[in-house]
Amino acid sequence: MVKQELIKKSPLRKLDNSTRGGVGEGNIGVVASRRGIGKTACLVHIATDKLMAGKHVIHVSYSKRVDHIIQWYEDIFTEISRKRDLENAMDIHDEIIQNRVIMNFNQQGTSVKQVLAGITAMMEHGGQAETSALFIDGFDFTKASQDDVKAYKEFAVQKKLGIWFTDDYHREDIDGPVLNSKGIPTNLESFLDIIDVIVTLKAEKDYLHLYLVKDHDVFLSKDLPLKLDPKSLLIADL
Amino acid sequence: MSLDITKMRNIGISAHIDSGKTTLSERILFFCQKIHAIHEVRGKDGVGATMDSMELEKERGITIASAATNVTWKDHPINIIDTPGHVDFTIEVERALRVLDGAILVLCSVGGVQSQSITVDRQLKRYGVPRIAFVNKTDRTGANPYRVRDQLEEKLGLNAVLMQVPIGLEDAHVGVVDLVTMKALYFDGDETYAVREAEIPAELLSEAEEKREIMLEALSMFNDDLMEKVMEGDDIPVDLIHDAIRKGTLANELVPVYIGSAYKNKGVQPLLDAVIRYLPAPPDITNKALDLDNNEAEVILPSDSSKPPVALAFKLEDGQYGQLTYIRIYQGEIRKGSELFNVRNQRKFKVGRLVRMHASSMEDISEASCGDIVALFGIDCASGDTFCGGDLNLSMTSMYVPNPVISLSVKAKDKAASDKMAKALNRFTKEDPTFRTYVDPETNDTIIQGMGELHLDVYVERMRREYKADVETGAPQVAYREAISKRVEWEYTHKKQTGGSGQYAKILGIMEPITDSEDNYLFESLVKGGNIPTEYIPSCDKGFRTAMEKGSLLSFPVVNVKMTVVDGASHAVDSSDMAFQTAALMGFREAYKKAGPVILEPIMKVVVEGPTEFQGNIFGSINQRRGMIVASHEEGVNCSVEAEVPLSEMFGYSTSLRSSTQGKAEFTMEFAKFSKVPQSIADELIKKAEEERKAGKQGR
Repeated sequence: MVKQELIKKSPLRKLDNSTRGGVGEGNIGVVASRRGIGKTACLVHIATDKLMAGKHVIHVSYSKRVDHIIQWYEDIFTEISRKRDLENAMDIHDEIIQNRVIMNFNQQGTSVKQVLAGITAMMEHGGQAETSALFIDGFDFTKASQDDVKAYKEFAVQKKLGIWFTDDYHREDIDGPVLNSKGIPTNLESFLDIIDVIVTLKAEKDYLHLYLVKDHDVFLSKDLPLKLDPKSLLIADL
Repeated sequence: MSLDITKMRNIGISAHIDSGKTTLSERILFFCQKIHAIHEVRGKDGVGATMDSMELEKERGITIASAATNVTWKDHPINIIDTPGHVDFTIEVERALRVLDGAILVLCSVGGVQSQSITVDRQLKRYGVPRIAFVNKTDRTGANPYRVRDQLEEKLGLNAVLMQVPIGLEDAHVGVVDLVTMKALYFDGDETYAVREAEIPAELLSEAEEKREIMLEALSMFNDDLMEKVMEGDDIPVDLIHDAIRKGTLANELVPVYIGSAYKNKGVQPLLDAVIRYLPAPPDITNKALDLDNNEAEVILPSDSSKPPVALAFKLEDGQYGQLTYIRIYQGEIRKGSELFNVRNQRKFKVGRLVRMHASSMEDISEASCGDIVALFGIDCASGDTFCGGDLNLSMTSMYVPNPVISLSVKAKDKAASDKMAKALNRFTKEDPTFRTYVDPETNDTIIQGMGELHLDVYVERMRREYKADVETGAPQVAYREAISKRVEWEYTHKKQTGGSGQYAKILGIMEPITDSEDNYLFESLVKGGNIPTEYIPSCDKGFRTAMEKGSLLSFPVVNVKMTVVDGASHAVDSSDMAFQTAALMGFREAYKKAGPVILEPIMKVVVEGPTEFQGNIFGSINQRRGMIVASHEEGVNCSVEAEVPLSEMFGYSTSLRSSTQGKAEFTMEFAKFSKVPQSIADELIKKAEEERKAGKQGR
């Protein structure tokens, strides 16, 4: 399969089509789930899809090391290219990794201002001016303030990019239910006017299902025709 | 004499220039020798020895002249390992850091944490070396150990905790208050150089109590018992405090801070006490080796004397008695007369002389146990070699030696310099497997090759400084490679049958890139029925190899090619080894043109570290150099940026980085891979090579 076809046939097009335009310029999207279900894989898959389409992305993480994140990207790329029998896979790989940067902030407590200053420096000086999407893994919504999330939103609007977050809604420090009646993670409730799209991941039978719970101004609990293969952790058609 | 391995310490002394590293080293040697001597003498006849100041002056000449010096402090043998003066990341620094288990980080009370302190601390961090800090020069005007402690925390991110409070500063500095025992320690400087213990002066009591509180709070993290006692306000046993300090230090989560003036003989003894109390003994450290019989899998080496020996040769020294090889024993013990096995060249040798280096003497010993650092005489080896006993085939370092990526021509100015240069080059190639040298047959120049500009700079500088060889260097050249991008079938007939003995060879073959293995060259013959006589198959192989030495684009070696000979033809009289070699060579060259030849360039993995405020400048400096930022890592006030940058773009990077970051950022660079040069740049390179070729021809 050639690259263009692969992009067109990506199961992620269903996500775009199910939502009204997906997470576009100036939008914020969140992939939420319990811990250890596959949020990072999901995020990396969405990022890889952007990369395949020739877009630049910045991946932000808060872990101690970055090599395992790079490994995620390698694994997801390998899985996709093998499954879809991608032509010239090595050349495409070498080409797209030029458009991907991983920025790691060691301390959980790094302020949003600091993170955004780092990203701005990367875009302005690091040759990533064309970045069209940010992927932020490990942001703690439970401890975040309205201003924090708003700052990201403003950044997205100003820089004309989409931002995807992950949200770990099952934390020991949260009492009570983790999802509200609409299926929205309770730790995201105070940011609903800022976040545009929320997708939750749930383990069901053999697969991990993706639910669209907030699509811009519409709240729904729609089972997307997408699932996550628990072995490869790839998003696939249902 | 068998040593108690838990008493042994292998330490390094790291410092910024001018913070008094040499003086402190000298004083440590002096005090150890002196106190040890006193102890020895007293132990024998009970008479105290004295030493007057004249003798002290004489003794002051003791410096660490050898790579490792053995001293004894209160029954604890300490090996002080000389850490190279230059801070560049070279194999030499790496090896020194590798063999030490702990370090003293020396800082100046006035200068505080300086740029080089940051560099050495970063190196220690990289190797996870536990350390204690010594704030030196408290006798100087403007000395402020408190400020230095704050800087250790702010600039180096260390959990630095004062263990002492100074009694007076500058001219008035006479001693310290030990916050663990809450006693004043005075260094009177009389003939015995003993430490006088006394009550804390009243005016310092409240300050000492305050600092002790801070210390205890920091330490309570490392011992639950201690934490409980601190919270209850109970009396705290000294041992409990020592235990917590040691735990924190070994875990690299605490850096105890000591104070003094080595020059004025103040504070050295408590520092030595701290070395033996808190820095690790060899068994406290996990050492790993690579098993060569098992695909370089990691093996943990227990500090066990009963196991077969494993030792690393970390430094070679030319002495008056021949080559002295310093080794660190990681496992087992080494005996004089025993047999060891050099893993690199797979050769056995016998341990002739085994010695221990003291400050002013050398002691012949008959055995050395694991954890120790000793020297061997007359062993032919290179530094970095691993010696094993028994059936072990372990290596302390990876046996993989990368190909050099940069070359430089060096020319001696005269005959004398030429001899010295030859001697130096011979030594360097033994010390460092990534450093190579050869004579270019075309220009007759001596070419040195290595892993980067800095790498070669260090050796050129050493040639000048250590060997006093007057040499000139040419411009550094990147070592490119050539490769093919597609598979082609080819056919070549070499025929010369007019007059005299003729030549005839015909080869049909396939040339294809190797993509799935690390091999540079593969050869296969599918010839059946003797169309090419068996004796000429190796001739084809040889012809291809010759062709691969120089590609037709830039005359650099061709890599990753598989050649398959499918069929051919020969002549009963006119075919020969030579004829098939020529046919293979010419066939290769013709096929090469059709196989989409490309130029490969060395790509370096570059890690730049510096303050976050210069992050943008660091990103920019990489981006300007065709670099690809792989990841950035922000940790408080510091950030590190990991990138892949073509070596050809890295010339002069240190200067430009320094100027764009006010000298506060530094970088390390190592070879990562070869990768295709972008077409526009490849075209330029080919054009330049052609021009040079033409110019060369005209010149001849």
